[in-house]
Amino acid sequence: DSHIQYERVGADVTMKCGSMDWDAAVTWTANGTDIDESHLNGSYLILKNVDLTQSGQYSCYEGSSWHLKYQTYLRVGTPPKEPVLMCRSNNYPKGFYCSWHLPTPTYIPNSFNISVIHGTKEMVCEKDAVPKNRCHIRYLQLFSTVKYKVTLTVTNALGKNFTTLTFDEFGIVKPDPPESVVAKPVPNNPRRLEVSWQNPSSWPDPESFPLKFFLRYRPLILDQWQHVELSDGTSHTITDAYAGKEYIIQVAAKDNDIGTWSDWSVAVHATPWTEEPKHLTTEAQITETTSTSTSSFMAPPTTKICDKGAMVGSGAVAVCWTAGLVVAAYSVLFI
Amino acid sequence: SPTGDSWGIFTFLCAALCNLPALPALNCSEELGAGQSIQQTYDLTRYLEHQLRTLAGTYLNYLGPPFNEPDFNPPRLARAERVPSATVDLDLWRGLTDNARLAANYRAYSRLLCYLRVLDSQVGTAELRHRLAHFCASLQGLVLSIGGVMSSLGYPLPAGPAGPPAPPGAPTAPNDFLKKMDDFWLLKELQTWLWRSAKDFNRLKKKVPPAVVTLRLEAREF
Repeated sequence: DSHIQYERVGADVTMKCGSMDWDAAVTWTANGTDIDESHLNGSYLILKNVDLTQSGQYSCYEGSSWHLKYQTYLRVGTPPKEPVLMCRSNNYPKGFYCSWHLPTPTYIPNSFNISVIHGTKEMVCEKDAVPKNRCHIRYLQLFSTVKYKVTLTVTNALGKNFTTLTFDEFGIVKPDPPESVVAKPVPNNPRRLEVSWQNPSSWPDPESFPLKFFLRYRPLILDQWQHVELSDGTSHTITDAYAGKEYIIQVAAKDNDIGTWSDWSVAVHATPWTEEPKHLTTEAQITETTSTSTSSFMAPPTTKICDKGAMVGSGAVAVCWTAGLVVAAYSVLFI
Repeated sequence: SPTGDSWGIFTFLCAALCNLPALPALNCSEELGAGQSIQQTYDLTRYLEHQLRTLAGTYLNYLGPPFNEPDFNPPRLARAERVPSATVDLDLWRGLTDNARLAANYRAYSRLLCYLRVLDSQVGTAELRHRLAHFCASLQGLVLSIGGVMSSLGYPLPAGPAGPPAPPGAPTAPNDFLKKMDDFWLLKELQTWLWRSAKDFNRLKKKVPPAVVTLRLEAREF
């Protein structure tokens, strides 16, 4: 009869030849190859301090008749270490997904069990077919004050382990990166690049749950990024690009109010528009002198986040006071 | 984020100034039209949410463990239901009319403000009292701002308490620990409401036409 036997790395394994007596004459093979008698204790096979290479099929034959008396498949592995669990909502407010993996392989089959508890309620996390080791949950309620507690237990023949994550609905919101990022030069504008992108397709409701974006760009020849934060719109024109230099551009997204920034999008490359080649030398000289008086590798003025913010704020105040003045003017007419 | 701080402060100052009763015959939120008021209210919720983070941190430390532990995840007791909850079924939330959406916010913050004022009157340290008072003032501004939006859209303000705190018959916490639990849930609900309001006002922003400066003259005593 044949079965599977799981043993830990480093363990000492004793295999008995089925129901044969200790002093019976037997021959053991490993994957068809005879095993030397030095590993035998009577009819028992002794494997000391087993390692992964010793996994395989072990068979025991009666000495003279060569009848197969016992067969086992030895799988050498380890009990599971604490699994790594991650939960994220890239499709807020629909729900969230959790995905997991083991930090080190066990070399033997593992089974995973995930439980999600919300307050007193147990919720079902539906396993995804692809990728494996991932499941998703739909929110029943929105704006919940009660935390979610996700426990992942991993079990194999040699042991079990588990890990727990506790989080708020808002804490795990992280969109996927923006899609279809395109950067184009602007005709007749040697310092401009037009960048456009789309909301990640996994974000279900950008109308009610708008995203804001973070753009970063730099010429390939420099290491330092320039940044722009954009509170709406899916396009932006860079106006301080170096003439004739190839740029690398990336965009990230975040829910306007909650959660964290997405990973950076796929990088796109673009070079600003340049004049016809025969005019290049004179144009380049003019561009160099107008932009800086010293080295042409001095960083151009960055679009400062604070400037942008100050503009919005003072705009609001300006409207406020303008309205006040106009109303005051009308009031004076009426007095 | 740095952006949030600077524009949040600017626009909150505007809202505060516009709502000061000292300004004669000027109710900025009405004059500027609903669109601008919604933006203002949205900005206020973001500012308050930022303020609350600091306040909650200080207050929970004052309450001491386990309340200030990040993993603290107590079950919701029945008594905590008095604090208005932001939790709502997703489809229901989507289907709210503008009036219902605004009214829910107005009612919630009015009651939360009451409870916070009670907290303020009982709290031990001077620093906390100062922070709470500041926060209550900002929250009052939010309630007024929401009221302003409702008025400019022609909705009646929900009836009910902006006045005295819990009715005399209401049960106070029987012991110190339960009192602290009440405080914990109050802050949690407040935080959740501020997150929810940002989404509520985002939705309203999209549905109400953009800012139109309307001049309305009303007979007022100078």
